[in-house]
Amino acid sequence: MAPETPEAEPAFNRSNQTRWLQGAKRTAINVFLIFYLVVISAWCIPSTSALILRFRERIRPYMVWSGMFQSWDMFSPKPESANSYFEAIVIYKDGSSQLWPFPRMELLSLTRRYFKERYRKFEQNLQDRDDAALWPDAARYIARLNANPSNPAQRVMLVIRWSDIIPPAAGTSDHGPWNVDVFYNYVVQPEDLQ
Amino acid sequence: MRLRSLVDAWNRFFFAPQSPVPIGLFRAIYGTLVIATLVLLRPDWLAWYGPHAWVSLSTMHQLEPGMRLNLLAVLPQTNAWVEAFFWVFLASAILLTAGLFTRLNSVIVFICLASMQQRNLYITHGGDTFLRVAGFFLMFAPAGAALSVDRLIRIWRGKGDSQLQPRRPWAQRMIQFELAVMYFASFCWKIQGLPWVQGTALYYVYHLSEFQRFPVPQWLLRPTILKLGTWFALVLEFSLGVLIWVKEFRYVLLSLGLLFHLSLEYSINVPLFQWDVLSAYVLFIDAADLERAWNWIRSRLSRVALPVTAQRL
Repeated sequence: MAPETPEAEPAFNRSNQTRWLQGAKRTAINVFLIFYLVVISAWCIPSTSALILRFRERIRPYMVWSGMFQSWDMFSPKPESANSYFEAIVIYKDGSSQLWPFPRMELLSLTRRYFKERYRKFEQNLQDRDDAALWPDAARYIARLNANPSNPAQRVMLVIRWSDIIPPAAGTSDHGPWNVDVFYNYVVQPEDLQ
Repeated sequence: MRLRSLVDAWNRFFFAPQSPVPIGLFRAIYGTLVIATLVLLRPDWLAWYGPHAWVSLSTMHQLEPGMRLNLLAVLPQTNAWVEAFFWVFLASAILLTAGLFTRLNSVIVFICLASMQQRNLYITHGGDTFLRVAGFFLMFAPAGAALSVDRLIRIWRGKGDSQLQPRRPWAQRMIQFELAVMYFASFCWKIQGLPWVQGTALYYVYHLSEFQRFPVPQWLLRPTILKLGTWFALVLEFSLGVLIWVKEFRYVLLSLGLLFHLSLEYSINVPLFQWDVLSAYVLFIDAADLERAWNWIRSRLSRVALPVTAQRL
């Protein structure tokens, strides 16, 4: 047996301490991994299980705060079955009006489409009546875009036009007739134009 | 005994050291995609994120309540601050791509990306979401250990070995997991919809004029072909979510996935989405194979470069 030296004891303690620290670090990483594997799976994979829905509600504040919320439902459960686009009718103080079209991807050049694609996504959300709170903001923005100090905008109407895609088995034509709906009418306030 | 082998498999999967080249390459591609996202957003930056944007901060809070990691909500609401945010974000993304102060910049990029998306969730697509969640795990990865300026500096200072040191890949595994979950969740969502089960979903997708990019040959738009394409997409998404973990299937699935995303990139206009997803494919490639591919490219390049040099001489 080797004689003990004065340095042997601290060296032994140090290696013990290092081992303990490494063990604690490994445990922390394992907890981290298990936590994220569970919460991401529970959050993303569609389920109607009451247990999973309750669990989602519990973790929701953290997922939302941390930016780890996610959904992967592109074109599902069913893709859109109509082509649509938005316009705005701006009515000015003198009674004149102007049609302001939202950028339409199919009418833009390839390069412009790359830059303006966010408008497609925004318009898709604008259609959703659950997100109707977006409409006043959109109307105000359009009023500012079309501002004319000598003849200010007084009213902005948001218009959607859509045409159903005819199901593949139904016939020869791909698209149905175009429909129109003026779905929101906003009275512009002077402070909106600031 | 079975529990022991399960623990061993867990430890091997998350902690067995491996080359940091795949995560280094992913970091460079990831950073490039963040830069590209910012460049595309630049012309409408204030329209989407400014104090007088399409969606106001108060509307955002009303529609998406709750505490959120969002610097743009705490910065003063002026154009100058929102512009400054853009430039800091862009600079950090450039440094992350180069691998300079990698850890710090991975944190800044994640916070800025999360803030930008939280500020206006109504213009984000799946590719943005993937960048955000992958960026979270990238902060914990040894992303600057290979293919980075940080590594060059370490070597110049004599602190680093010229040989790459294997690192524990647990953070890389989580990004791989995110990719697999993305495919599997997409598959689960799709099979809940009749058009996907009946095989008509792609018919509708390819008749949405706002998505169309380059012209697709007419024979590919026949209902029978689109039906087969719809079902192929389902099978592929399931496989990329589940079978990707089986080594024997991996490269075949990655190749099919690459073809699938490139065909979508050609035909459907969702800028950067396909590249955002494809970026994580490099994490599934063995470092040895990446090295072989790099050597092959280098030999090809030198074969092309040599005659040119000889001509000049």
